[in-house]
Amino acid sequence: MSDANFKLNRRRFLQAGAAGTMLSAGYASGAFAKTATPALSEFTPEFFTADEWKFIMAATDRLIPADGEGPGALDARVPVFIDGQMAGPFGHAADWYMEGPHDPNAPAQLGYQSPLTPAEVYRAAIAELNAWCNDKHGSIFAELDKATKDSVLTALEKGEIKLESTKGANFFSLLLQNTKEGYFADPMYGGNHDMVAWKYIGFPGARASFREWVGVEKPYPLGPVDISGKRG
Amino acid sequence: MKKLIKIVAALAVLGAVAIGAIIFMPFSRTEPLTELPAYYKVPEGHGKYVMRMADCKACHTADGGEPFAGGRPIESPLGTIWSTNITPDPENGIGNYSLDDFRAALYDGVEPDGTHVYPAMPYENYRKMSEEDVRALYDFFMNEVKPVAKKAPETDLAFPFNQRWGLRLWNWFALGDAGHEDFYDDAVLNRGAYLVDSLGHCAACHSPRNAIMAQDGINADDSNYLAGGVIDGWLAPSLHGENSAPAKWSEQDLHDYLTTGRNSHNAVAGEMSQVVGDSLQYATDEDMTAMVTYLRHINGKSPSDTVAVANDKDEDANAAQDETTKLLASADPSMPLGPRLYLDNCNACHFVNGKGADGVFPEIDGNSLVTADTPNGLIDVILNGAVLPSTEKRPARLAMPDFGHRLSDEEVAELATFVRQGWSNDAPAVTADQVAAIRAKTH
Repeated sequence: MSDANFKLNRRRFLQAGAAGTMLSAGYASGAFAKTATPALSEFTPEFFTADEWKFIMAATDRLIPADGEGPGALDARVPVFIDGQMAGPFGHAADWYMEGPHDPNAPAQLGYQSPLTPAEVYRAAIAELNAWCNDKHGSIFAELDKATKDSVLTALEKGEIKLESTKGANFFSLLLQNTKEGYFADPMYGGNHDMVAWKYIGFPGARASFREWVGVEKPYPLGPVDISGKRG
Repeated sequence: MKKLIKIVAALAVLGAVAIGAIIFMPFSRTEPLTELPAYYKVPEGHGKYVMRMADCKACHTADGGEPFAGGRPIESPLGTIWSTNITPDPENGIGNYSLDDFRAALYDGVEPDGTHVYPAMPYENYRKMSEEDVRALYDFFMNEVKPVAKKAPETDLAFPFNQRWGLRLWNWFALGDAGHEDFYDDAVLNRGAYLVDSLGHCAACHSPRNAIMAQDGINADDSNYLAGGVIDGWLAPSLHGENSAPAKWSEQDLHDYLTTGRNSHNAVAGEMSQVVGDSLQYATDEDMTAMVTYLRHINGKSPSDTVAVANDKDEDANAAQDETTKLLASADPSMPLGPRLYLDNCNACHFVNGKGADGVFPEIDGNSLVTADTPNGLIDVILNGAVLPSTEKRPARLAMPDFGHRLSDEEVAELATFVRQGWSNDAPAVTADQVAAIRAKTH
């Protein structure tokens, strides 16, 4: 099964983001005001239903848990990123070739083979997986204990759980990829809240030039800056 | 008491007679400077060339409008002046103008019906134009421009500036003799002076304006000649004196800047972008050399002088330059907001030494736009970015992005203050209020 075309085209990604900021930022007084972001628990998803949202919160929290060394997926508000992507052009496969034929056994270089858009893959997969969890463990995924969640995700990754509803798309790989993207992408896309991921790994952000630091044998001292100009 | 009333009445009558005379005295137009022979024919292509060198398009073509149909707003301290339709349409343009009518507009700022045009039209400079060039322009507008049957918006200034008869007085004070005198024993310098003073009308922006808003410094022997002016809040830098570009830059740098909008020091922005894009890039090599030679000559440079500017700054300036460079290179988190914003926003192109890159990124250190007394141009460029004109020799429209969406008024003020005082620059601070005003105006 191929997941080649899940990879965001970087150019599109930046364009979509730039358009987004222009729409949302404006020049009004609010543009630079430090508006407190509502807590993640207060967030109303644009794409996901309440049940789907529970799943996204629970699953990303297991993929990058908060009890490790650095911030977890929920600290970085990864679910917000994924919701925004599913509601936008990426979720709708806006610039992908989506006509048939779709052949799940086609070689990788022939690209994405499911007739479903990423948003449709999420919708179908979450429903099927919750039904599977209900069936096997007596509750939906979000309500399982940590160990069981991990075992479900592991089984999904190894292909031991076969999702029929995604019609050939690899849901686990899509979810893991989007989780990483939401963790590390510029905060303007909703994830990497407060640049927590960048600060954790020491990435200096969108400063773009370090010419005078080439060959300097010590860590770069300044914290990151994001595309909107915010300093972390 | 009665006597006083009589005196006042007498003065009033005299005043009325004087005003009446100003308004109704017949106006005499300037005669042709030379009588051209009856068989004189404008050389092929010369009309278009003169139009380009005189940059008629800059004002008489609106953004996205039909060529020469007017309708471009020119913001003056008195209000908005709309450029007129100068296509050969008889109703709305200048199709009914005789050669004498046309010359009177160029030399005297007077339309055929006697209406005075506002001196936003640089007839102060165009009246130095040779008869050959007047003929060439007339020929071009009558025969090579497509008539456009559309009226340009009427200029409607507030009282008293809408009383155009007042311009007769203004002309009386402001206008010198028509024609251009060859001052030098050198054909190249004479040609350069002619292009700069007449067609190029450089003094319209690069000379200051006097109390009656006439160009203060229109002839090479005027003390304020090309001493720098302000246009719409932007500095039109001085072309005279030791810190001016013609004094500091090499011949090649001047040539590059004027024909391509970029050189090893700077890149063009603001009104001058249009001048390069619409006019100067089309100058023949010969004419450009003449202008450059002349501009260098009035700054005491002869063509054989090679410039040695690299390290002519005093030690203090060099130390200040090093200090800023070191601060930026340290990336020290405790640095003030100004340099921090420079690192976050500007450093990728203009670098820690503020020197940019030749022909691509302008120098910040020693840049006249950055250190101008009125910081409007600098603030505008930071907020809204800038785009180089595409020219035949250097077609790339290199652009600086806009930072208005990324930086608050306070941040722009901190950043602008830092670049105005960093390295060897030493200009007054910028306030957030100044930034807010430019943001509101240019948004």
